[in-house]
Amino acid sequence: MLRRLKFIGALGVMLLLALMVCAGQRFPPPDFESGYRLPSASTPAARQLWLQYADAGVLLAALGIAVWLIYRKRSRRGLFWLSLFSLAYFGFYRKGCVCPIGSPQNIVYGLCNPDYTVPVTVLIFCFAPIVVALFAGRAFCAGVCPQGALQDFVLIKPVAVPLWLEQALSVVPYLFLGAGLIYAGTGTGFVICRYDPFVPFFRLSGGLFILTAGAAFLLAGMVVGRPYCRFLCPYGGLLRLASLVSKWRVRVTPDSCTQCRLCEQSCPFGAMREPAPSGTHPKWLGAERKRLGWLLALLPALVAAGVWAGSKLSPAAAQLHPAVALAERYTRQQSHPIQYGLMTPEALSLERAAEDPKAVLTAAADLRHRFDLACGLFGGWIGLVIGFKLVALSVRPSRTDFEPDRGACLACARCFTACPNERVRLGLMPAAGDPALS
Amino acid sequence: MNTSPLHRALILTAWIAGAFCLLVCGVMVYGHFEAATNDPWKSPQLLALREKLAAEPKNQPLQKEIRQLDLEFRRNFRHRLAMDKTGAWLLLGGTLALVLAAGKAAALKKTLPLPQPKPDAGEQSIKLASRARWSLAGVGLVVAGSLLIIRLGNTSVLPANQAVWQKLLGRSGAQEAPVGDAPVLSEFQANWPRFRGWDGSGAAAWDSKTMPGILWRSAIPAPGHSSPIVWGDRVFISGGTADRREVFCYNAANGALLWQRAIENVPGSPLKMSEAPEDAGCAAPTMATDGRRVYAIFANGDLGALNFDGSVVWTKYLGPIKNPYGYAASLAVWGNHLLIQLDQGETRAEGSKLISLQGASGRVLWERSRPVPASWATPIVIEAAGQTQIITLADPWVIAYTLADGNELWRAQLLENEVVPSPVFAGGFVLVLSPGSKLMALRPDGTGDVTKTGVAWATEENVPDIASPVGNGELVFTVTSGGMATCFGANDGKKIWETNLDTEVQASPGLLGGRLFILGEYGALVTLQAGRELHEMGRTQLPDKFDASPAFANGHVFLRGVTNLYCLGPAVVKLAKQP
Repeated sequence: MLRRLKFIGALGVMLLLALMVCAGQRFPPPDFESGYRLPSASTPAARQLWLQYADAGVLLAALGIAVWLIYRKRSRRGLFWLSLFSLAYFGFYRKGCVCPIGSPQNIVYGLCNPDYTVPVTVLIFCFAPIVVALFAGRAFCAGVCPQGALQDFVLIKPVAVPLWLEQALSVVPYLFLGAGLIYAGTGTGFVICRYDPFVPFFRLSGGLFILTAGAAFLLAGMVVGRPYCRFLCPYGGLLRLASLVSKWRVRVTPDSCTQCRLCEQSCPFGAMREPAPSGTHPKWLGAERKRLGWLLALLPALVAAGVWAGSKLSPAAAQLHPAVALAERYTRQQSHPIQYGLMTPEALSLERAAEDPKAVLTAAADLRHRFDLACGLFGGWIGLVIGFKLVALSVRPSRTDFEPDRGACLACARCFTACPNERVRLGLMPAAGDPALS
Repeated sequence: MNTSPLHRALILTAWIAGAFCLLVCGVMVYGHFEAATNDPWKSPQLLALREKLAAEPKNQPLQKEIRQLDLEFRRNFRHRLAMDKTGAWLLLGGTLALVLAAGKAAALKKTLPLPQPKPDAGEQSIKLASRARWSLAGVGLVVAGSLLIIRLGNTSVLPANQAVWQKLLGRSGAQEAPVGDAPVLSEFQANWPRFRGWDGSGAAAWDSKTMPGILWRSAIPAPGHSSPIVWGDRVFISGGTADRREVFCYNAANGALLWQRAIENVPGSPLKMSEAPEDAGCAAPTMATDGRRVYAIFANGDLGALNFDGSVVWTKYLGPIKNPYGYAASLAVWGNHLLIQLDQGETRAEGSKLISLQGASGRVLWERSRPVPASWATPIVIEAAGQTQIITLADPWVIAYTLADGNELWRAQLLENEVVPSPVFAGGFVLVLSPGSKLMALRPDGTGDVTKTGVAWATEENVPDIASPVGNGELVFTVTSGGMATCFGANDGKKIWETNLDTEVQASPGLLGGRLFILGEYGALVTLQAGRELHEMGRTQLPDKFDASPAFANGHVFLRGVTNLYCLGPAVVKLAKQP
């Protein structure tokens, strides 16, 4: 029955999103005979500077509170309320912008475009969660990220994703990050923001594709904990790397691990890792070493193949850039003219292109050159990520207790109260040997 | 199984919330698809009415019906937007209730974990790692396959290498048009490529020894005040109404109408032109040609370039043009520049500008704002003071711009009233008319404001208000609307002679060697000797009404009457057969 209810709920969400698309449909402008000119579209004024700094202040305060709740209070309830606040403030009030997830694009765009200066507040949004992750893990994901909070809210009955699949899919965020950065660097647009599936919720409007994707993520999120955070979020990939070397790490038990496996059951994100088996059978050891050697040798080959394949992707990838797309349409129009009778956007864009074809084509040529380079780098990046992950999967971990994977743990604090020792510490159950148990 | 009343209530709540969501969704989906199938852009009803209106443009009830239908569409659109907004909030509430109830119900039914020990953890760990590696390889293949599909699905027409890029950029019209593409100056001089000849002076390079007779005449299918232009064996005129604007091409030898082409479907141009003022009509501006293409502009702002075979090269909408009597300034060509003086506004400048387009592509080479209201004079291009200058007239400024980049060279505040006569360049002076009040000669070698320093001479005698002057370097001739022809000295502006032609004149006079050629509004064709002595060399009567100025090319004179296009030649021959 619950499954059916979930289906209905998901269907409702999807249809809601689909219907929001209609609200964005444009109505044709009238044919004015009086000479009236339609006013040109204007860009809203930027948010006042002090308010931008206030947003950064709220972010820093929320990060501080999250760290305090994770490490000092060890409070899931506190993190839940902090999540709700973040969802309301960074999500629905600030409408998902500026947000750390998209901010690396600003940095790369600023580096590749000398005319653009990255605002200080964007720098804060980009680096503050990473710096915190270097010390305290993914505190941002735990209670400050509105996208994560939204997925947490719809999580009804989590099922475990097989670990082998979890490991394989964990490379996807890095691929998305690479794509987002090349498109930002080439000035095409911020695709990480454009394809953020939850921002349309915060803004109550969006395109059909992204709204459908958002609905799909929420549908999946009812039974799979935070699918976007785990398998797509590019900023989560950065935080995962920072958390791997964090100074402090989340510990399930305040005392010694009882190996009861209860914490493993409590984690909806598949982040709990069991102790590594002691010793290795001799028949496996040689093969493992040999495999590791081959994979290490394969790594540069994968990178080189990626660079080659990526450079072949350039003509297609560049078409996402408006200037290249316009040049494509202009060139097609020259060879196969289409007569546009109405004042359609297509006709108007070609009209503009015809005014200065040299500028359009020169810009396209320059962009195609940049895309050749960027796509080569992107391909190499894909090879590096996959090769590195293959190597990582061939190295034996060294764990003696049940503990969260430092990169995958979202520090949500759900596992704390699952640990018998923590429950004893909190006074929720008597300790072993307590007279109350006898 | 937990069957507590609370659990049952939660399940029931979740079901109700789910059913509510489905119901709201159903209504909204129905509204969505209904709206999608009734797109106002493509409404057959509206399109049919519009087509009907095109056939009956003055049908007031039809116009009202269209407006009513349009209003209804807009009301429906707004209503649907409001419905969607309400529905979205209802769905949000329903989904919230559904998630909360289902989540709570799931929590109540939660079974406590009972983990079991894993005796074969070591082997499982190895298998898990192996499976993860293979699945990672699978992810890699999926990514590679997806990228391959993207690559194959997005073919590019842009070049793949730098050499082809350079070729494409060279062909895109970036540089000046290739020298081989532009006719030489002698070709321009031998033809009549724009209003009042290649340089706008109204003077032809050849002389007419005898009073010409009618060689042929040919009916003009559409009204217009534009003057004919001539290139080789082709004569071009424009014409049209608020519904249809066309270009007509005639055979210069026999008057056969070779083709006519409508300038239509211009991107951005309203489907229906607002009523053009009766004075100027829709086709008052004279066309221009650079010998490779012909260009036509109409009062609504539609501009088009056509090949000599009548095929459309490009079109552009420059309107709406705010002009109280209708836009009438003619096009000018010089090299690869097509010049458009687009002055607008009744009493003050309202978007007035001078535009230079590249003839081959229609792209804007440059554009300059002008501080003047509407005017009707046509710009000329002159070579003077080491510069190629564009001379423009409008109340109150004479302004000269450089041809290359449109930068202003000099200006003089000399004009008033509604400026119709165009400037001419003769004897080293730019001759300008302040309509009905002053004829002035300006030295085109100044910079900045030359109001006080640039005027060589000025006269207030017999100053025309419509017809432009004409000069031969030694003498300047003018004709007023009332038919008063006057000769001035080109160096000092002193009147030499004057004569009343006893005819009203709209057309500007032309100079054929030693003959001054004056065409009266009601068909009187008068030739005067273009000298210091007043001498009427001939007078004849043509059977038409004439507002357009004559064109002189290849030994023939081309006149546009209200009903016919005429070709006059040195000998009277049989009229060409009507096409």
